[in-house]
Amino acid sequence: MKKYFKVWKQLSICAISSYLSNRIDSFSYFFGKVIRFGFFLLLIFSIFNYTDSLAGYSKYEVILFFLTFNLLDVFAQAFFRGIYLFKDEVRLGNFDFTLTRPVNPLFYSISRLTDILDMIFLIPILVFIVFTINKLGLEFGFLNIFLYLSLVLIGALTILGIHIISAGITMWTMESDNVVWFYRESMTIGRFPPEIYSGFLQFVFTFVMPVIMIVAFPVKALFGLLAFKWAVFALAYSVSFFYVSILLWKLSLKKYSSASS
Amino acid sequence: MKKYLAVFKLSLAREFEYRLNFLLGRLRNVIVLLLLFYVWRALTLKTGTFAGYSGQELITYVFGVNILRSVIFGIQSRRLASDINDGSFSKYLTQPLNIFWFQFFRELGQRAIHLLSAIFEVIIFVIILKVDIFIQTDVIILFALLVAAALSLALYYLLSYLVSMLAFWSCEAMGPRFLFEWFLEFASGAYFPLSILSQSIFLGLAFLPFAYLIFFPIELYLMRISIWQFLFGIGMQIIWILIVGILCRYVWNKGLKKYSGEGI
Repeated sequence: MKKYFKVWKQLSICAISSYLSNRIDSFSYFFGKVIRFGFFLLLIFSIFNYTDSLAGYSKYEVILFFLTFNLLDVFAQAFFRGIYLFKDEVRLGNFDFTLTRPVNPLFYSISRLTDILDMIFLIPILVFIVFTINKLGLEFGFLNIFLYLSLVLIGALTILGIHIISAGITMWTMESDNVVWFYRESMTIGRFPPEIYSGFLQFVFTFVMPVIMIVAFPVKALFGLLAFKWAVFALAYSVSFFYVSILLWKLSLKKYSSASS
Repeated sequence: MKKYLAVFKLSLAREFEYRLNFLLGRLRNVIVLLLLFYVWRALTLKTGTFAGYSGQELITYVFGVNILRSVIFGIQSRRLASDINDGSFSKYLTQPLNIFWFQFFRELGQRAIHLLSAIFEVIIFVIILKVDIFIQTDVIILFALLVAAALSLALYYLLSYLVSMLAFWSCEAMGPRFLFEWFLEFASGAYFPLSILSQSIFLGLAFLPFAYLIFFPIELYLMRISIWQFLFGIGMQIIWILIVGILCRYVWNKGLKKYSGEGI
């Protein structure tokens, strides 16, 4: 564990050096993320200038859905960013060198690039979440907060599983990282409460591409709106999904043919 | 002109070659379309109206954005930045073509395919979701829309070209492009009608070029603007095209002197 932390720390230091040497790019990317975040927040505030509720949720409740979406999305961008480089690693044959390193190739492939900008961006998101929960003025019990945090972690584990599956499929197809991009696009659905969508879409985005499970379950658990059986389902789904993703990764490693090296 | 037509045709063929990339690009639009459709539907479900828009107008706005952005928002000029940065821009300087028009026709070929796909998506969703959208039948309005959309296309292309030319001075042009693209997405009204924002923000955006890319043509289609507002909008489009066009020319001349062919 200590060895892996040291590897991650070193890789992160390299990433920081890279971001600091490309200051215009870094500043622009960060500011672009702030603009995207700010405009969506502005949209929610503007919507609530005309109405009191969206699908039965108040302004700050909707904002909490949006912030939890950002928390999980930005977390994955910050810590699993390496997967976006994996396609080229495989295509160019550089993955061979990763396999020879005395470190788990899956760990290295996922964490080889830490997005420092997203790590920094996590801080205001967490501050906003605390502020919003405070603003809601509800008396949350220990169980609600525990469930919220647990389901956020469960969501993060599912996202990690999706990234591993993407890497596995990339090794099979040798050309594309479509799964991770499909996940990125699908996560958009999590910006708003799931009740606004049709029953069919809610089904698809709970069971097939579990965006609703990842983003909405924690928030609903905090509000006391999630039946305990759904929390158990999320745990079982996430662990099974992660286990399957590891199996697929191992299978893909056996299949890896080192075509371009 | 013949050579640019060849570029247009090649660009069409290229889109058919990379079908998976094309489908993924469209998928993003479809998911945003679904997200916005359901947000506005939820908001208009009770009263049938929201922020001065009828439910039908809001849904038409969302579907109209899907079509309009497919024609206007392109990515070809992004290639200009990467070409300058990696030195492959040099090859264009030796070819008997104008790179501005070369990129434009390449963009146009790509946009043509995206337009057809966007219209197809809208038809499919109108049928599946059983929604009632506003169909404009007034020929004069449709002609005015055509003019406004053509000016939007020109304005977007010039803005995008200008931002890409930052690459002449810095190898870090992609970050500013990312910033530009996200600001443009929102400030153009591609996510929501700008008039739902507070009056002060709306007025601020009305004097920037972005509002005339998407918001203005769709408001025109929905007949939510007066003749004076239409003339003001067209006037703003022309003024911004002239300003950005002159800037492009100036920056191009300066940039060419600065270009060192680094990375060849």
